[in-house]
Amino acid sequence: MQKKINRRSFVTHTVLSSAGLLLKIQGVQENSGSFANASLHKENEPALMKEVMKYRKIDSHAHVYFSADSPASQIDFADRLGIERLVISRNLEPFSGGTPEEFRRCNDLVIQCMKAYPNRFLGTMVLNPTYREASLEEIKRCVDAGMVGAGELYNQVKINDPAFYPIIEKFIDLKMILLMHSAIGRSRVVLDAGEPPNISLPEDFVEIAARYPEAMFQFAHTAGGIDWEYACKALANSPNVYVDISGSNNEAGMIDFALRHIGEDRLLFGCDNSFYQGVGHMLAANLTEIQRRKIFFDNYNAILKKSGRHVD
Amino acid sequence: MLIDINAYTGHWPFRQLQHTTCGARLQFMQKSGIDISMVSNLNGIFYKNTQSANEELYEALKLDRRFAGRIIPFAVINPIYAGWKDDLKKCTAGMGMKGVRLHPRYHRYALTHPYCIELVKRTRDLGLPIALSLRMVDRRVSSWLDISEEWSLKDVLPVIREVPDAKYVILNAVNSMQLTNEETNLLKGSDFLMDTSGRALTDLGNMIRSYGKEKFAYGSHSPILDHVTGLLRIESLRTEEAGEITKTLLRYKNAQAFFNL
Repeated sequence: MQKKINRRSFVTHTVLSSAGLLLKIQGVQENSGSFANASLHKENEPALMKEVMKYRKIDSHAHVYFSADSPASQIDFADRLGIERLVISRNLEPFSGGTPEEFRRCNDLVIQCMKAYPNRFLGTMVLNPTYREASLEEIKRCVDAGMVGAGELYNQVKINDPAFYPIIEKFIDLKMILLMHSAIGRSRVVLDAGEPPNISLPEDFVEIAARYPEAMFQFAHTAGGIDWEYACKALANSPNVYVDISGSNNEAGMIDFALRHIGEDRLLFGCDNSFYQGVGHMLAANLTEIQRRKIFFDNYNAILKKSGRHVD
Repeated sequence: MLIDINAYTGHWPFRQLQHTTCGARLQFMQKSGIDISMVSNLNGIFYKNTQSANEELYEALKLDRRFAGRIIPFAVINPIYAGWKDDLKKCTAGMGMKGVRLHPRYHRYALTHPYCIELVKRTRDLGLPIALSLRMVDRRVSSWLDISEEWSLKDVLPVIREVPDAKYVILNAVNSMQLTNEETNLLKGSDFLMDTSGRALTDLGNMIRSYGKEKFAYGSHSPILDHVTGLLRIESLRTEEAGEITKTLLRYKNAQAFFNL
C-alpha cells in the first residue's frame, strides 16, 4: 500500500527537499508599510500559500496602465501572492515615436501610482535617447520624484546605440539600474516579423555591458516568450547584466538553467504582470533557501542600496 | 490528495525536459506531493505512427507495480493515419488507457475532419474523454522546426458542436478566452473539464462563477511547464472566490468524478 502524499507536502517537498535543506519554516516576514495584511496569513492557510507568503518579494518587473482598473488590479495580485514591492513602469508603445510628451505622460502615470501606494510601488522611468536633452531633464525630474531606475525601455533605440551613452553615463552616476526589454528575436532563426527594427538582442546587452562595466543593466523577462536558453548562455559572462525571470511562459527548468549560467547573485524575481507564473516557477525551481531569498528580494534590494533607495 | 490531469512522459525534441520516464515521473510526484498524474507520451506527437508511443508508455508502466493507479495513461491517436481504429481499441480495451489526447496541428488535420469526428464518437461510445491542448509550447520561443500556430478557446468548439455529447478535456488554456453568447452556451452545455495550467486563467474565480466549480481541475502541463503555477491559481483563490469545498473539487474530486477514478 502506497503512502499517500497529502497536499501539505506539495510545496514543503518541492521547495525544501529540492534544495536539500529541510529547514524549519520560519515565521512569515514582517513587512514594512501598508503591506502587512493579517488576512493573508491565516492559521488554516494551505501549505502552498504559507510558502508563498514566507518570502519577502520585490517584483523587479511590473507595469501600470492607463486603464480604470490600474493600479488597483496590480495591487490586488500582489496582495494575493505576498509581493511586497513592485518596480513599476509604463513603457512606451513599441512602434510609437517615443516623443518627450509621450515619455513624460508615461512617467507621470508612474509618479501618480507611487504617490497612491508609496509603500508598494517603486517607480522607474522611460526615456527615448533620440531626444537627448529632454531625456536628461526627465531623468532629473523622475529621480527627484523618487524613482529608482530606468525601464522598461523599449525599442526606440537599441541599448548599445551610441545615443544611449549619455543616458547610461548618467545612470552610472546615479548608481541606478536600466531595465531594457528583450525580444523574441531570432528564436526561430530569422528575426521575428513582429519585432520593431531597433529591438535589443542579447548580444547588444553583452556589448554595452562590456563598454560600461560600472553600469547595471537588467535584461527583461526570460519567461517573456524569448529563447531563454540562448539568452542565458549569451549573458553568462556579462557580470553587470542582471536577468529577470518574469513573463507568462513558465517553462519548467528555466530558473534552474538560468542559475547555472547567470548565477544566484544576478537573477531577479519578477512577474511582468504574469503574477502566478512569476511566483509559481520560483517555487518550483530547485533552489536553496538562500538562493530563493536572494532572487525573490535580496538581489534587487542590493541594487537599490547602491543609490540609497533600498527597501530596508 | 492532488491529481494532475495534464502531464506527460517522453521527450520533446527541441528542449531538454526533466522527469521524462515513468520512474522519474513517480519520483517527481512523490517529491512534489502529487498523488496521481494523467499522462500521455510526448513521443506520440512526433512519431508518424503514434501507436508506437502508446506501446512504449504501456510497456513502461508494466515495469513497476508502483505505477499502477499513480500514473494514468492516455492514448495519442492520429485519426488520419492507417490503423487508428485498431489503435483505439488496443489502447482502451487492451492497455486500459483512460482517454485520448489529440494533436491535430502536429498531425495536420482539422478537428472537423470526418475521421476525427468518427474518432471522437467512438471514444464517446467507450465512455472516455477526448483531450485537446490549446498549445504544447509557447510559439514565440519554439524551435524553428516546430509548428508556430496556437489555438484559442474557440478553436476547440467545432468538434464540440459536431459531437456535443462527448466528454472533453481542455488543456493549457492560452490566448483569447472570448466567446460569443452562442459559443458560451455551447461550451456550458458540454461535459468538459479544463485544467489550470494555462496562462489565460488569470481570473479563475470568475471562470468558476461563469462555468461552474465542477468544470476545473489542477493540471500542470509538466514537464513542459512548471508544476506549481497551476496549483497556485487554485490555492490563492480567496474564500469568497472558492471555499475549501470548491478547492478540494479543483485539487482532485472533479478529476476523480470526470475520469471515474
